[in-house]
Amino acid sequence: MPVLATELQVDSALTLSQAATGCEFQIRELEGTNCRQLREIGFCEEMRVRKLTNGRNMLCTICGTQLALSKDLADQIRVIPA
Amino acid sequence: MSAPSRSARIALVGNPNAGKTTLFNELTGQNQKVGNYSGSTISRKSGSFYTPHGHQIELIDLPGTYSLYPNSPDEQITRDVLLGDHQNEEAPEMVLCVLDATHLERHLYLLIQIIDLGFPVVAALNKTDLAEARGLRIDPTVLSEQFGIPFVPISATTSRGLTTLKHSLRHPFPPPAGRAWKGTSEIESAIAQSTESATTHQHGILKVGEPGSEHEQSIQKTRFAFIHRAISNGLKHPDQSSRRLSEHLDSHLLHPLRGWIFFVLLMLTVFWSIFEFAALPMDFIEVQFENLGAMVERWIPEGDFRSLVVDGIIAGVGGVLIFLPQIMLLFFFISILESSGYMARAAFLMDGIMSKVGLSGKAFLPLLSGYACAIPGILATRTIPNAKERLATILILPWTSCSARLPVYILMIPMMIPGAFAQGLALLGIYVLGTVTALLAAKILKPRLGVAEPPQFLLELPPYQRPQIKEVIRQVWDRASAFIRKAGTVILGLSVLLWFLGTYPKSTSDDPSVQQKATFNAQIGRAIEPIVSPLGWDDKMGTAVIASFAAREVFRSSLAVSYATDEEDEKAMRETLSQAKRDDGSKLYTPLVGLSIIVFFIYALQCLPTTVVVRRETGSWKWALGQLSAMTLFAYLAALMVYQIGKLILAI
Repeated sequence: MPVLATELQVDSALTLSQAATGCEFQIRELEGTNCRQLREIGFCEEMRVRKLTNGRNMLCTICGTQLALSKDLADQIRVIPA
Repeated sequence: MSAPSRSARIALVGNPNAGKTTLFNELTGQNQKVGNYSGSTISRKSGSFYTPHGHQIELIDLPGTYSLYPNSPDEQITRDVLLGDHQNEEAPEMVLCVLDATHLERHLYLLIQIIDLGFPVVAALNKTDLAEARGLRIDPTVLSEQFGIPFVPISATTSRGLTTLKHSLRHPFPPPAGRAWKGTSEIESAIAQSTESATTHQHGILKVGEPGSEHEQSIQKTRFAFIHRAISNGLKHPDQSSRRLSEHLDSHLLHPLRGWIFFVLLMLTVFWSIFEFAALPMDFIEVQFENLGAMVERWIPEGDFRSLVVDGIIAGVGGVLIFLPQIMLLFFFISILESSGYMARAAFLMDGIMSKVGLSGKAFLPLLSGYACAIPGILATRTIPNAKERLATILILPWTSCSARLPVYILMIPMMIPGAFAQGLALLGIYVLGTVTALLAAKILKPRLGVAEPPQFLLELPPYQRPQIKEVIRQVWDRASAFIRKAGTVILGLSVLLWFLGTYPKSTSDDPSVQQKATFNAQIGRAIEPIVSPLGWDDKMGTAVIASFAAREVFRSSLAVSYATDEEDEKAMRETLSQAKRDDGSKLYTPLVGLSIIVFFIYALQCLPTTVVVRRETGSWKWALGQLSAMTLFAYLAALMVYQIGKLILAI
């Protein structure tokens, strides 16, 4: 992918907590103190994630698994529309 | 064929809820506890089986983990066993990695780390029946080529593919496949350097990618990139536009309002059922023990020996065993909740409340286990990553009412409230009171324990499934047989002791009331009466509570001995107790006194095994004995306040 397009994509990335519910996203990058733990449970770069609910703890589906995560953790996941 | 001199050791490893323990039970014929939630296995278990070639294999079942960099004490056990760092135990010779075929991508990350350690590995692709039903197409041959190890499709619940799996575990084990991925030259030289300087190859590999290390992120990303490439040909997803049943159910069961209504109704149903459905089998057990007592009375001539057998042993053991139906019902509901996948949802719902007292929703799962018995609840705290949060949870956990308190509640509640529904409601109230106090205690304790960071909630919600009847029956049977064993050993011994204390020494008078006052039981009662009378209790109740520190269940047996009532007859016993009078002629067992007893039992930690386990888990007698004395003191003060304030209110 050309450099400009990559940068534009990164700029337009949302955090998972900002993303709309019911939509599917692709994880662009992880940023924060819990990256390792998030990757280990399945939130790794390039993975597709579907956000199901909003709130203090949100629900999402990744590779067919339903996961619940707090807003602080969702803020560390940057996604782009899939 | 001659048997090998030593069995080969294989570790069973996988992500939480991958089905490791189900497979372990299928292969070894054991009956370890299985649950449909993360963290149902929290310690190392081992069993053995034979391969089709006649080799004996020792299989080690380990707690589930997402990676070899542990986040909690249970995950630490898995890492330590694999690296040979667990209590001087040698590292296993092979690893059987269980992967959930329905969530394959997420489970491959652990597999790749284990392959990197240099073990011979076999991957068991579990739940392939569910994966097929969902339209997932997995090609084990392609995956085997990519990872360099055998992938064996199985279904542990239906025993499908287990023979093929046993064939793939033949001894001598194949040489390790070796690392399947290659990093940049910088990573490769770091790995070479680390493995050279470390004590073992495994330690070196883990060290180079450990959290906070220079290469942590790049190694993690390289591994994931390899997984994506490897599965691009080996796994095909169906069209996922349709919402699954679990998601649909969760839209209601995890809803901020509807979810809570369902949770409360569910709990109410459980407690109402304990009263409603247990009545018939309780009557049946009661009649059997009455008949047994009558039969023995005909056989043995009147005297102390007959009194020991009939009033001590049969009445003591029978009086506790009549609660077996209630214990079985409680465990039936708990195992249904565990097996269906609802436990994790309860933790999700409770996270909001738990966070207000500084704990995460994850801490609610051990608290839920504590309703059955405090000991598995305390062990389940190993899934809590934060040490201080874990300690706070251990310290408050005995306030979630365990099943040993149930006989006391069941005896006292009907003396205070009529009707099964109201009694069920009162029982629910008792459990709520214990839990709420435990949470408030956590709020007070946490800052004193020095917990700084707020807990992060991250939990896998397993798909709902029809409860496995085999597992439900196994769990109910396990607990019922443990209860019967306790009745036949500890309770039996205590019943004989209580009978002795209630019979001797003999007085010269023929008057039963004079004889009763001469016994050791009455002497102990008189000695402690000044301490217990402010709680509204008489000397007999005081003695019964002292006896219940050995086992809560004997509270009832002790009262029966003291009041010389027919203990197996539930109604007769309640009638005797409700007619008991104080010296001034006033009624002894008023609802207020009943409440004072219940409150004491909610809060008192009358369980020595729990104190021993707390000592083991916290590594210090300070916490264990501190918890025991604090809870006993709190129980006394709470019962005192209830009785004294209640008396003041009633006097107005």
